[in-house]
Amino acid sequence: MLKNYFKIAIAVLKRRKFFTFISLFGISFTLTILMVATAFTDKMFSPDYPDYKRARSLYITRVQLENSKDGWINVSSASYHLLSKYISKLKTPEKVAIFTFSSPANTYINNKKLVIEYKYTNADYWDVAEYQFLEGKPYSKQQIEQAAHVAVITAATRKNYFGDVATAVGKYIEADNVSYRVVGVVKDLPRTLRNFYADLYLPYTVSKSDYKEVGLLGGYGAVLLARSEAEMPKMKAEYEQMIAKVPHGDKEFDLMYVNADTSLEAFSRNIFGNGANSGIWLMITIMSLVILLFLLLPTINLININITRIMERSSEIGVRKAFGASSRTLVYQFVVENIILTLLGGLIGVVLSIIVIYAFNQSNLVPNLSLSLNLTVLSFGLVICLLFGLLSGVYPAWRMSRLNVVTALKSQ
Amino acid sequence: MFKHLFKLIWNKRKQNFLFLSEILVSFMVVFAVFSSLVFYYQNYSKPRGIAYERVWAVSFNNSLKIKDADSLKMFFENVRTNIKSLSKVQEITYSSSNFPYANSHSTTGFTSNGRKYDRINTYFTEDTYHTVLSMNLSEGRWFNNTDGVNKYNPIVINDALKKAMFGTESAVGKLIGDEENAKMKVIGVVQDVKADGDYLTAGYAMYNRIDTGSRKWIGDILIKVSPDADAAFESKLYKVLANNIKNSNIEIVHLSEIHDAKNGDVIFPMTIFIIIAGFLIINVALGLFGVLWYNISKRRGEIGLRRAIGASGRSVSYQLVSESLILATLALIVGTFFAIQFPLLNVFNIASSVYLVALLLSLLFVYLLVFLCSLYPGKQAAAIHPAVALHEE
Repeated sequence: MLKNYFKIAIAVLKRRKFFTFISLFGISFTLTILMVATAFTDKMFSPDYPDYKRARSLYITRVQLENSKDGWINVSSASYHLLSKYISKLKTPEKVAIFTFSSPANTYINNKKLVIEYKYTNADYWDVAEYQFLEGKPYSKQQIEQAAHVAVITAATRKNYFGDVATAVGKYIEADNVSYRVVGVVKDLPRTLRNFYADLYLPYTVSKSDYKEVGLLGGYGAVLLARSEAEMPKMKAEYEQMIAKVPHGDKEFDLMYVNADTSLEAFSRNIFGNGANSGIWLMITIMSLVILLFLLLPTINLININITRIMERSSEIGVRKAFGASSRTLVYQFVVENIILTLLGGLIGVVLSIIVIYAFNQSNLVPNLSLSLNLTVLSFGLVICLLFGLLSGVYPAWRMSRLNVVTALKSQ
Repeated sequence: MFKHLFKLIWNKRKQNFLFLSEILVSFMVVFAVFSSLVFYYQNYSKPRGIAYERVWAVSFNNSLKIKDADSLKMFFENVRTNIKSLSKVQEITYSSSNFPYANSHSTTGFTSNGRKYDRINTYFTEDTYHTVLSMNLSEGRWFNNTDGVNKYNPIVINDALKKAMFGTESAVGKLIGDEENAKMKVIGVVQDVKADGDYLTAGYAMYNRIDTGSRKWIGDILIKVSPDADAAFESKLYKVLANNIKNSNIEIVHLSEIHDAKNGDVIFPMTIFIIIAGFLIINVALGLFGVLWYNISKRRGEIGLRRAIGASGRSVSYQLVSESLILATLALIVGTFFAIQFPLLNVFNIASSVYLVALLLSLLFVYLLVFLCSLYPGKQAAAIHPAVALHEE
C-alpha cells in the first residue's frame, strides 16, 4: 500500500515540475534556516570544550542588590570576598572554580598592537574546566599562593605573540606592562563561552586590583562542581541555605540575589530574567513563538500550493470515490504523499544546511566556533519535517475528501 | 467594473481565504523589515555629532588606592601634565566610562516642573571634552573654569532633551529639577551625539562637570592625537600611562574601531534578518505565481467566452491583474489595521513617522509583488484563443 502511495507521489511530482520546485524550495529553505539555528543553539547549550561537566555544574555569575521600596537595582558580578569566604566553604561541591570575566589589555610587539583578554583564576578552575593542554601544564596551588608571575596562554596568543614557534613554555610574555612566564598553552576556544574565554590566564593573586576587598560586588564568577549529577539538588539546597545567611551589609539595599544556576538558567537570567526569576519559561515561550511565526508563512504557502495540486487531480479522486474509496483512505493517502514530499525537501534541506554550516565555519565569523550537524540537530530537523508535512497536508486533504463525486468527475 | 470584480471575488471567498492570509502574513513580514530599515536610515542620515577620528580612549579601571579627594585631584593633574607633554598629543580629557561608542551606559532621570524625564544618558566630562570630540554647540557655552563655584550645578544638555523640556525656547540659564537642593543650571546645549553608533538614536543626554564628588568614579581618558601618531607612539604612550597609573590594568582603544564595532552590532543581525525575509518573500512570490497561473488555466472556458463576445486580449489580462490587486487590497486593509496600531500605541518608543513611511513602502512593495506575479498569468490568459478554449468544453 505505502509502496503504491510512494509511486503515485513520485509520479505526481514529475508531472508538474514548477509546483514541485516551489514546494521543495519552500520546505528545504525553511528547514535549512531552522537546522542552522538549532546547530547554533546546540553548540551554545550542550557540553562543549572546555566546559564538559555542565550537567553537574552550577554557575554563579551575577549578584543583584535591590531596594524594593524605591526600585533601585544594582547588578554586577560577585566579589572574591563573597565567593571565597562563603561559597567555597560549602561541603557538597567537589570543587569550586573562581575566576574573573575576561577583560582586555594591550601589549606591543615590534610596534604592533595586540589586544589580550586576560582572566584571573584559582587552582580549582583547571580541574573544573577541562582545557586541552598543547604543552606545559596549569599553574599550581603553590604558585598561586606565592603570587608567582606565571601564565597559561591559548594557541592563538602563542602564534600572535611569539610567531610560529613550536614551544612557548618557559618564555616570557609581556601584557599590561608586566612580564609573565608561560607555563602552559591550551587549545583555542570560542568567545561565546563567557565564563571560560580568555587569551591569557593568570593566578588571581597577581591581580592588580585588590581582590581581598570586603564587599559583595566585584569582577568574579564561580562554578560549583558536584561529585555526581545525583548530588545536584543537594548542592543547590545547601547553597540556598548558605546564601540566605550571608549579610548584605549595605543599608541602601534590602534584597540580595546571588543565584547558582544551571548553564541554561544562567543564560536566560541574563537576558530575560532578574534576581527573583530565572526567566527560563519566558525564554522558551518567546523562542517557540518566533519559530511558530517563522513557520507560518511557508506553511500557508505550502497549503496553497497543495490545494492547487490536489484540485488538479479531481478526476482521479472522483474515480477513486466512485469505486468506493472512503474519505479516510483518501486523506490518509494524501497526507502520506505530502510527508514524502516534505521528507524529500528535508533531504535537500540537510544538504543545504551542511553547505551553510561549512561556509559559516570557513568564514570564521565567530572565531573558533565550529558548528556541526549532529544527531540532536538532525532529529530536530526530522521532527520539524514531519510536523510541516502534517500541517500542510491535512487541510488540503480534508478539502479534497469532501469533493462531490459528480462534480469531481464532471469538471474535466 | 470594480463592484463586479469584487462580487466575483466574494463568490469565491472560501477559495481565496488562504490566498488572502498569505498576502497578509507576508505584508507583516515586509512591514517589519521596512520599519527597521526606515528606522536605521532615519538615524543614519542625522549628523554624528562628534568626530571620532584620531581619538583614543584609555581605560584604567580605577582601582587607585588614593582615598583623599585632594591627593586624587593632584594625581589626576599629574597624569594629565605627563600625557600632554608628549609631542603627538593634541588635547586630553578625563571622562566617565560611557564615552561615545563604549559599551558602558549610565542613565538617570529627574522631575522638572512636575514632569518626569527619564532614560537620560549622564556623562561626566571636563572643560576640554567637547574639543577632543569636536562636538557642536547649538546654544550657550561648554564648561570652563568659572563653573566650579556656582550655587547651582552647571550642566550641558543635548538638543533632544532641550526640545522635550523647552521646545523652541532658549534653554540657557534655565534651572532644572524640582528638588531644591538638587537644582541644575543649563549653561549650554550641544548637538545630539549618536553614542551607540550611526544607526541608533541619540536619546536624551546630560553632561556634568567632573568635581570632587564624582572624580573617584572616573576611569577613562580621551586623547586627541595628531595625524602622524602611529603604533610606535601608541606603545610609548602606553609605557607612560603604565608608569604613571600603577596598580591598574590599562587598555587603549581607538574610537574609530569601537565605532565600527558598534555599527557592526546593527548591520550583522540586520543582514541575516533581510536574507531570511528575502527568502520568505521569494517563496511567497513563487507560490502566488503558481496559484494564479493555475486559477487562470481553470478559467479557460470563462475567458474564451469573454473573448468570443468581443473582449480584447488586453482587457482580459487587465481583468485578471485587477482581480488579484483587489484581492491583495482586501488583505492589505486588514494588514494596515494591525500595522497602524504600532504608531498609535507608540510601540518600542519609536517615532511614528518611521512606521508610517514603512507602512507606505510595504503597501507599495506588496502591490508590486502581486502585480508582477499576476502579469505573466494575465498575459497567458490574453493569449487564449476563443475557438480552442470553447472547443474543449
